[in-house]
Amino acid sequence: MSEPLLQVRGLAKRFGSLRALDGVDLDVAEGSLTGLIGPNGAGKSTAFACIAGAEKPSAGSVCFRGREIAGTAYHRVAALGIGRTYQLVQTFADMTVLEAVTTGALLRRPRLRDAVAHAQEVLAFVGLAEKRYRLGRALTIADKKRLEVARALATEPALLLLDEVMAGLTPAECAEAVELLRRILARGVTVLMVEHVMEVLMPIAEHVVVIAAGKTIFSGSAAGAVRDPAVIAAYLGSPLEHSEIAERTP
Amino acid sequence: MNTFAQLLVGGLLTGLVFALVAVGLTLVYGVMDVVNFAHGEFLMLAMYGALGLALLGIGPLLGLPLVAIALFLFGIVVYRVFVRRLLAGPPEATVFGTFGLLVLLQGVAQATLTSDFQSVSNPPLQATLRFGPIALSQATLVEGIGALVLTAVLFAFVEYTETGRAMRALAEDRVAATLMGIDVQRVNGLAFGIGAACVGAAGSLLMLSYPVYPTAGAPFALTAFVVVALGGFGSIQGALVGALLVGLLEVFGGFYLAPELKLVPVYVAYLAVVLLRPQGLLGRR
Amino acid sequence: MTARPHLYALGAIVVLGLLAAFGLREAVVLDLIFTLLLYAVLGQSWNWISGYAGNISFGHAIFFGCGAYASALCVTHGLTPWLAFPAGALTAAALALVTGFPTLGLRGHYFSIATIAVAALVETFARTTPWLGKANGFELPIASGWAALQFPQKGPYVVLALALFAAVQLATIALERSRLGYYLRALRANHAAAASVGIDERRCKLIAFAWSAAMASAAGVLYAQYTLFIDPPSTLALAISIDIALIGVVGGIGTLWGPAAGALVYVVLAKAVALRFGGAGKGYDLVIYGAIICLIAALRPYGIVGTIVDAIRRRRGALA
Repeated sequence: MSEPLLQVRGLAKRFGSLRALDGVDLDVAEGSLTGLIGPNGAGKSTAFACIAGAEKPSAGSVCFRGREIAGTAYHRVAALGIGRTYQLVQTFADMTVLEAVTTGALLRRPRLRDAVAHAQEVLAFVGLAEKRYRLGRALTIADKKRLEVARALATEPALLLLDEVMAGLTPAECAEAVELLRRILARGVTVLMVEHVMEVLMPIAEHVVVIAAGKTIFSGSAAGAVRDPAVIAAYLGSPLEHSEIAERTP
Repeated sequence: MNTFAQLLVGGLLTGLVFALVAVGLTLVYGVMDVVNFAHGEFLMLAMYGALGLALLGIGPLLGLPLVAIALFLFGIVVYRVFVRRLLAGPPEATVFGTFGLLVLLQGVAQATLTSDFQSVSNPPLQATLRFGPIALSQATLVEGIGALVLTAVLFAFVEYTETGRAMRALAEDRVAATLMGIDVQRVNGLAFGIGAACVGAAGSLLMLSYPVYPTAGAPFALTAFVVVALGGFGSIQGALVGALLVGLLEVFGGFYLAPELKLVPVYVAYLAVVLLRPQGLLGRR
Repeated sequence: MTARPHLYALGAIVVLGLLAAFGLREAVVLDLIFTLLLYAVLGQSWNWISGYAGNISFGHAIFFGCGAYASALCVTHGLTPWLAFPAGALTAAALALVTGFPTLGLRGHYFSIATIAVAALVETFARTTPWLGKANGFELPIASGWAALQFPQKGPYVVLALALFAAVQLATIALERSRLGYYLRALRANHAAAASVGIDERRCKLIAFAWSAAMASAAGVLYAQYTLFIDPPSTLALAISIDIALIGVVGGIGTLWGPAAGALVYVVLAKAVALRFGGAGKGYDLVIYGAIICLIAALRPYGIVGTIVDAIRRRRGALA
């Protein structure tokens, strides 16, 4: 059994006297799609930020490809092989779609010509090729999210971190997103996604980690998660309501 | 040792006046995220205003509130007519916009007023007081104490009044404050006006011992920027602490280096602070 | 957008400039063209850091001064003024690093304040240091020929200024189509997103700033060899920094041809002010310059060229 691509142990983060994270453990196997879920206020966003390098953890370790990366300067994380999207989409408003993705591609391909070529390829891959000359500000929210994924993919990450990418999408758009996710996995990119929209996540996640009150309370299969009493208690508090989710889970 | 004590007291008193100049700047920054590069010109206008009143026979006791009110109104007008529009544009616009205001005001001053150094012919408060080994002019003492009192008044305003609380709310989280129903434009305008009023008061005090000429504001402005950066942008207490430090640096620098080099340690300190502790001594950002 | 139209425009300007340099005899006109070209170079240098990188510099005169003083020092020590190009550029770049290293990773105003502070320090230093001529500055001895970089007629100076302008424009065209150019644009567009794709803000901006300083220095070398007299007020004063900022702002920050347009406006304006009010010193020029900067900042922050480019983009339906 090979080393997990990402290994998080005892991650803790304090904001003043608030303990946002109090011991999060997380493993992401190479080539898998792992879901990070938990009730509101559980600390998912904080954990995500610490893994992505946007926040420095107060304690604990984040090991990526066997190397400790906690506390790395935020702008160096992409070069290490981690790409990310934002919960509140961060678009380059006045750049065209192609320019935005080229900016990402420039990380590994310093020559503009090569970067543009790679960006074109990534755009075709995510399905934004026809819109390549549109300005970022002129896209729908679903396309903006798609663009953000493309931009991150252009940096050729080994691990792609997605922050509530399904939020605000219609069911049809969600289905398209899932299809894109499958293609990303097929390309060899590992995915860790924080998600709230359970109906979409549970069917596709090979591995699920549940956080509540800043701690990991479950790590295993999606099917196991919906039946786990600690998870049920954290989310719902009542054993009756969980049956709906259990029905949707393979 | 006597010299040291003299310099120390002089530096602290000078620093107090710098604090009054700087708090206006830091208040405006805290509330609306704008560094008013024309701040020094506001000071220069205040000095001229106070000088004009003094020449008409109106002493500093009445002159200071008059100048402060005049600058307050001026600040509100400048905000409504100009700064408000800058805020709607790209961030660079607020930077070169207030710089343009600096150039404009400087030009107006040079065009309408003589470039000669001016001061009142019979300046008040010129008597020298002695506190043990330390000699101070009355003016310096009045400036320092006046500045301290006014800074405390401003601090109280920001802490305890409703408008002050609104300003702190905007400084803390603009989006949330707007959602709470705070009238951003009104509070911004008031903050800008109050900032100008502080500078107005400072100008009235400084007129007592510094000559008045069109470019008089510039060195104080730059010092004010350094003070605010040292203390932390947006923090009034920080501005006070930073100002005292800068006052000491300037006075000691002027004595031990050379009078025209007195600002060198100040600028070097700025670069050092920004390098080592960008949020300043007491700042949050 | 392809570079071709820009290259054609630049070529046309160079041809016109050469015609003027070799064809015209009136010293006044040649002087105007020389000044125009030099200001366009200074404006473009300012544009690299204040426009493309988005950090407004208020002390750009000191980089101009680096080149001017380097030239004067070379000549007074018996060296060829051509050495002033690398010497001035390196000094200017060093000053840029000192100013930018602590400040270019922070919010914009820290940098702008630092440029004012460093400019004041440099000006004080030059004014009080004996080997820099103190307040008197330098008078360059008269010489002639390409080795001495001095000429009796104005024509060759115009050619050199033209060469410098062309070089700077070509460099800017290259910048827009380079990784650094893209990275600077991304930083201006969205800071968080830029960091997430690996862009190191301070490093990118320091590189842009160092090149910006070097370009301004080159203009300073030419200036010194042209006027043969330099002192702190003529090369390091705040007034010069104001002029440079005006050119950049009016022309359009972050645009390729903004500085050239701004220089044109400035030269015309300065002449008009001089005619109407009899030269600087009374403040009227500052009133006009200040008012223009304020109007641009409040109404058309992207300047002449920026507003035109914006209109073209809108027409092209990029927002469709």
